[in-house]
Amino acid sequence: MSWETERLEKAKQIIEMYPQKRSALGPLLYLAQDKDGYISNESIVEISGLIGITEVQVQSVASFYSMYKQEPTGKYLLSVCKSISCEISNSSDVINSVKNFTGLSNNETDDENFFTYESVECIGACGGAPAIQINYETVEGLTPDKAVDLCKWLKEEEPEIVVADELQDKFGGVKSFDWAIADNNGATSPVPGFQTYDTSKEKK
Amino acid sequence: MNEKVTFTVDGKQLEGKQGQLLIEACEDSGIHIPRFCWHKRLDPVGMCRMCLVEIDTPRGKALVPSCTTQVSEELIVETESDTVKKAQEGVLEFLLINHPLDCPICDKAGECPLQDQTMAYGPGESRFIEEKRHFEKPIPVSDIVLLDRERCILCARCTRFSDEISGDPLIEFIQRGNKTQVNTFPDEPFKSYFSGNTVQICPVGALTATSYRFKARPWDLKKVSSTCNCCSLGCSVELNVSQNKMLRILGEDNEFTNQGWLSDKGRYNFEYLHSENRLLNIHSRENEDYQTINISDAIEKIKNKIKDLDNPDIKFIIGANSTNEEYFAINKFANSLNRNEFLSKDKSNVYFADDHIYNGYFSEEYTSATFEDLDNSDAIVVWAEDIKDNLPVLFLRIKKAVKNGVKLVVFGHTNTALESLADLYLGAEIVSNNFELKTSLSNIQELKDIIDSKKVTTIIGKSTPLQKKDSLDTLINHLQKVSDLKVFNCFSKANTFGAIQHIDQIKGLNEFCTEYENSNKNIVFTIGANPVNSSFFGSKIKNLLEDTDYVISLDIFKNETTELADLILPTTAFGEKEGTITNMEMRVMKQNKILPDPGSTLSEWEYLIMIAQSLGKDINYDSVNDLNSELASQFTMTEALPTFDNLNKPSNLFGILNQKEINLNIRDIDQDSSSLLMVKRLYGDSSTQINSPSISMLGSERFIELSEFTLDKYGIKSNVATLTQGSSSIFVNIKLNNLLPDNLVLAPINRRGFEKLDSTKDFDLKETKNMKDLSVN
Repeated sequence: MSWETERLEKAKQIIEMYPQKRSALGPLLYLAQDKDGYISNESIVEISGLIGITEVQVQSVASFYSMYKQEPTGKYLLSVCKSISCEISNSSDVINSVKNFTGLSNNETDDENFFTYESVECIGACGGAPAIQINYETVEGLTPDKAVDLCKWLKEEEPEIVVADELQDKFGGVKSFDWAIADNNGATSPVPGFQTYDTSKEKK
Repeated sequence: MNEKVTFTVDGKQLEGKQGQLLIEACEDSGIHIPRFCWHKRLDPVGMCRMCLVEIDTPRGKALVPSCTTQVSEELIVETESDTVKKAQEGVLEFLLINHPLDCPICDKAGECPLQDQTMAYGPGESRFIEEKRHFEKPIPVSDIVLLDRERCILCARCTRFSDEISGDPLIEFIQRGNKTQVNTFPDEPFKSYFSGNTVQICPVGALTATSYRFKARPWDLKKVSSTCNCCSLGCSVELNVSQNKMLRILGEDNEFTNQGWLSDKGRYNFEYLHSENRLLNIHSRENEDYQTINISDAIEKIKNKIKDLDNPDIKFIIGANSTNEEYFAINKFANSLNRNEFLSKDKSNVYFADDHIYNGYFSEEYTSATFEDLDNSDAIVVWAEDIKDNLPVLFLRIKKAVKNGVKLVVFGHTNTALESLADLYLGAEIVSNNFELKTSLSNIQELKDIIDSKKVTTIIGKSTPLQKKDSLDTLINHLQKVSDLKVFNCFSKANTFGAIQHIDQIKGLNEFCTEYENSNKNIVFTIGANPVNSSFFGSKIKNLLEDTDYVISLDIFKNETTELADLILPTTAFGEKEGTITNMEMRVMKQNKILPDPGSTLSEWEYLIMIAQSLGKDINYDSVNDLNSELASQFTMTEALPTFDNLNKPSNLFGILNQKEINLNIRDIDQDSSSLLMVKRLYGDSSTQINSPSISMLGSERFIELSEFTLDKYGIKSNVATLTQGSSSIFVNIKLNNLLPDNLVLAPINRRGFEKLDSTKDFDLKETKNMKDLSVN
């Protein structure tokens, strides 16, 4: 199950950006995650071949960082912040409402492979606490009800791309500041939608 | 870097080198700082924090790990202050949180750095009552190494070794935090020629080897230093024996040779010593059956055979595993049998059973190299047998030199494992499939840049028995002309250099076949050699031995050659005999005896002296010491001679270069082209390996290597095929190796099934489609 031509092409472009092939490992792991929703062993073998390091060295990095998923995730990865700023702004209520709605506990994926729920450490949105990320697209100033609305909306609309600004308009509250990068096109998979990784798509 | 600095440790003024690590500088001055992760031969990593010391900084006293701190002028260090002691206690308490208290059943207990340092520096009591971390255990990370992740303290010695030293990082840290563990990638086992070293440097009992698990306790072991004889590198080893059984071989850190490392073959190839297949009695052929006879009858038989035949024609085929003392005795004995025919020196009757041996470069115009020269030269030029498979620890030395900036040039098709290290790999474009140079070397600009007027060390030898000496002559003459050259003659088998030194003249099996064919074919002694199985001339030799009046084989196992013998004399093996061996630097090193002679075995020299004496020859040696002192007295150097007394240390430079003339008289094999490139692999079908259960399966895979072009030529799409030549066919796995030139197929010579193949004859390769095809074999 090797990578499709388009993905290999992207991989080559990424590798060219670095003086040493092995330095491209991080972004390539995101490419892998974009493919399967997690870092599969097949992708590890693929990457190891692309940048000339052993499989276990790839796996070592892939298993170290928590944003590289080792288990398959659903279509939408819900990451609710549980760190101090969100906690004092009642993030536990948000956590409970999301958990109740989805019926998931931490790091669990539902049977339809639709939602994966996780509670995470600080996501850098303390000014707009409590905050949630949908496929790493941040929504700030959430309430328990709005969080449930957001989940319901995802369930009904099933958007191909989630974009932070749109979600913020629909479900967010007070935003800390306009921190998002200018050309943010949203995310199509549980991979941060930065151009570098080239996993985002043009906004419709 | 060699500037001296003065610093203070615990109030004492010490001297170190600028840039040296504090822990090493202290060690050199006799101050031991406890450590787990730091290892002299590995890069520092600061992983375990056990080596914390207190130093004076502009901001007051600070705890720093001494393995990542360099010494500097006027540095003030405390290694035993209260703060340091508290830190050490703390570190140990943390390390012991998850370390199981299974010392009573742990192989490491008794020689365990964690156990020892907990006693010396630990807090004395534990405050933890929580459950420890649990993993499935032990898990096999390879066929010979097992991993217990619960015992692991995450020092990263094994992972650093496999990355930095051996260059096959197949084990790594997986996961993070409390879940961190060493592991392999699924279905990618730690298949390394050097995996045993990780077991030796593991500071706890996390990595264990199948051959030693639960066999002994360290305090029951009897130990002796010796020298490995698996290849001609001469690695210093420590033999561990309990109840007269060899249980373990450890690498000793010898700065000049192996620097602590061993190949897995050198480390685990010892179980054969106690195999039930060992030859323990003298066997004499009486009417097609072998009968056990005693030593005096055997000597009587040989004596009568030699006396009955008038002026008999006696030849010796010798192997590479004898000691210098044994070669010396063989030479004395062989010369004593010269009646008139062998009086002149170039009429030798001793033939060496290795087709890779050729006349070499020993004359005075060539400066011979030592392993140190590899580190000190500007470039290393290799054209020889596969170094990684035949001289594995030399591969590590080359890798180390390259890491330190020495340029590497590789010629030919056999050293593809060195390609990734090489600055210049001269394969198919420069070297033809018959191992001839296609272009003039002076035309290669890249080569010019690397070697011209530089210090060059070359490792030169026949890559395959079929390679002609001319091509090597061309290379060495060029190197000699343009660079400051030092030469390693690359003969990889055990004590080849000892044989070269101590036997007046050595010939090859090629000479044996032609010279013996026209002789009376009276008597042949094979001494530790199995030419029928291991030589290019195997089938020819088989016929010749069948026609011989009387064949006497001295060996440790029955093999294809002893099957043809009329008399089999069982001999002692590694660890059962004392003597010296000469490595490829011409460094003389000591092999020690720690095991008793099994059964009625005797050393090769003992048999020969007994035969000589029965024939009334004037050869009198009572002990191996006698042989050694006479042998040593031949050396013409003025410093200490390589006698046993001078060779007690693991390393010895005294023995370098015997001034004695080296006399090799070996013809190239008459064959112009090869279709199969047969190379020797580290693991194979040698009787010692087959009879060592822990490593016997390592040489079982049958595979061939070829380029994509060649693969397409034969129309093979799967990774299995059938190799057919004449009436024999074998089933092989296919490994792609695009460094090989088109139309050349590389096959292991020392694997079961391949011995029937003739590298000079055509062969056919067919895709194996289904399991039915396999069952034919």
